[in-house]
Amino acid sequence: MTSAVTPRALPLRRRLLWHCRNNPKRELWLAWGTLVVFYNVFFPVFFVVTRVQPPPQPAWDLATQVQWFHERHLGIPLGFGIIFAIAGMTAVNNALIAYSMRRMSVSRAFGYSYLLIYSLSAVPGLLLLCIALIVGTLRPQRDPRLIGWLYDFAFLSFDGTMGVFLIGSLIWMLAILLDKNRVFPKWFGYLNLCNALTEVVVSPCWIFRRGVLAWNGQIAWWLDMVVFGVYTVAFIVMLFRMIQREDFGTGPLPARVA
Amino acid sequence: MRRVDGELILWWTLPAALIIWIAAFLLFPGFNPPMSPVMSADQVAAFYRDPAHLPEIRYSMIVFNWFGVCLVPILALIAMQIRRMAHRTPIFSYAMLGCAAGGPTLFLIANVCWLLAAFRPERSPELTQLLNDFAWVTFTILVPYLIGQSVILALAIYLDDQPRPVFHRWVAHFNLLVAAALVPAAFVGLSLSGPLAWDGVLSFWVKNGAIVAWIVVMGGVLGQAIHRQRGEQSRTDAGRVPA
Repeated sequence: MTSAVTPRALPLRRRLLWHCRNNPKRELWLAWGTLVVFYNVFFPVFFVVTRVQPPPQPAWDLATQVQWFHERHLGIPLGFGIIFAIAGMTAVNNALIAYSMRRMSVSRAFGYSYLLIYSLSAVPGLLLLCIALIVGTLRPQRDPRLIGWLYDFAFLSFDGTMGVFLIGSLIWMLAILLDKNRVFPKWFGYLNLCNALTEVVVSPCWIFRRGVLAWNGQIAWWLDMVVFGVYTVAFIVMLFRMIQREDFGTGPLPARVA
Repeated sequence: MRRVDGELILWWTLPAALIIWIAAFLLFPGFNPPMSPVMSADQVAAFYRDPAHLPEIRYSMIVFNWFGVCLVPILALIAMQIRRMAHRTPIFSYAMLGCAAGGPTLFLIANVCWLLAAFRPERSPELTQLLNDFAWVTFTILVPYLIGQSVILALAIYLDDQPRPVFHRWVAHFNLLVAAALVPAAFVGLSLSGPLAWDGVLSFWVKNGAIVAWIVVMGGVLGQAIHRQRGEQSRTDAGRVPA
């Protein structure tokens, strides 16, 4: 915290090092960078390495389901191994979002609620899917009826975990709409509502095996994925701009909290 | 009684919990040696039907069910120490709290699957094997939040810029080493034999050894940090008395 001037003249590597040592916002940039790295790994793993998204059809017969697992017997354990190695990053992502609410003129309860709900969400909404699919690929000779049970368990736990994301998004929305510090624009608050509504329209996946409302349907999956994609890009940009505007100055660190 | 005295009481639950965990670990017949993933469905069913094994499986897993979450107060104490570090934001303590419940939750899923398999051992061997697979894969792969909390703590220590940091730098290096030792277990699904299999050197021995080492070392340095904090507070309180 010695110099107020960012050394733009330095080569990139030394400039990065300077920021690691001196940038007053380094904790926030580190968290934001973690967020970007996580989503840049998350989407390729699900769509390219494991090829479990876009999701297969719920209406397939058992032989096709077994064949689906067989074609992914390497991709699933490898890709989800990567997910399990980095899933701890979600805690940093949630911490940064909770911090954004701390900056608002709302009670700390909003940030804490979001942090707790989203920390909980990863288990039923992400990790159980991965475990069920790994167990599904573990023994190709397993009874097809049991593999079929794992298939349903995986995709329904993934798509059918709704409340945590629904309530979590609504809490962030409410905080943004109540906030007088204008940490985020109001339209981003309403985008949270769009994300929350995707968790409502996905709920029929528990009932329908075919059609637009099934877990692979045009509404329950494709529409929701587009909204989630737009929402993810939007909040990454919003958090970036929040950190840019943050002004800690260049002075000494605040006094230690006893 | 000061706040920090209460923290010391929480800290003393760790040695007690560690003894209970080790006892339950030794009691569970599936850990000594770890069950082989290449066992057939009938062999797995026979393991659960063995009258000698059944009470050991049930009692060890009931004990784990009771005390598995004892790690959470310790992680909360570490989060309190992170709050004492010279940071500008509470990001690291938030992230630590975000990790705290993840490991025990995943462990409890494995725990329930083992108990379910032992509840009706007469179930068809294929179903018992499925529960056993689910338990072992979940138990082995529960590393995400343990890796997360180690790396988060390491970063928090590296960024703790003050003349007398809360934890020494070597604690950060140690946490990164533990995180690296836990990573191979994430790939347990790749093979039923060899070092990555759930009974393998990396997925069982290195992973569980790293967890024990982390608990012992972090328990030690956390206890020191709390005692130091207590001493500092006593001196501050003593300084106020003459007025």
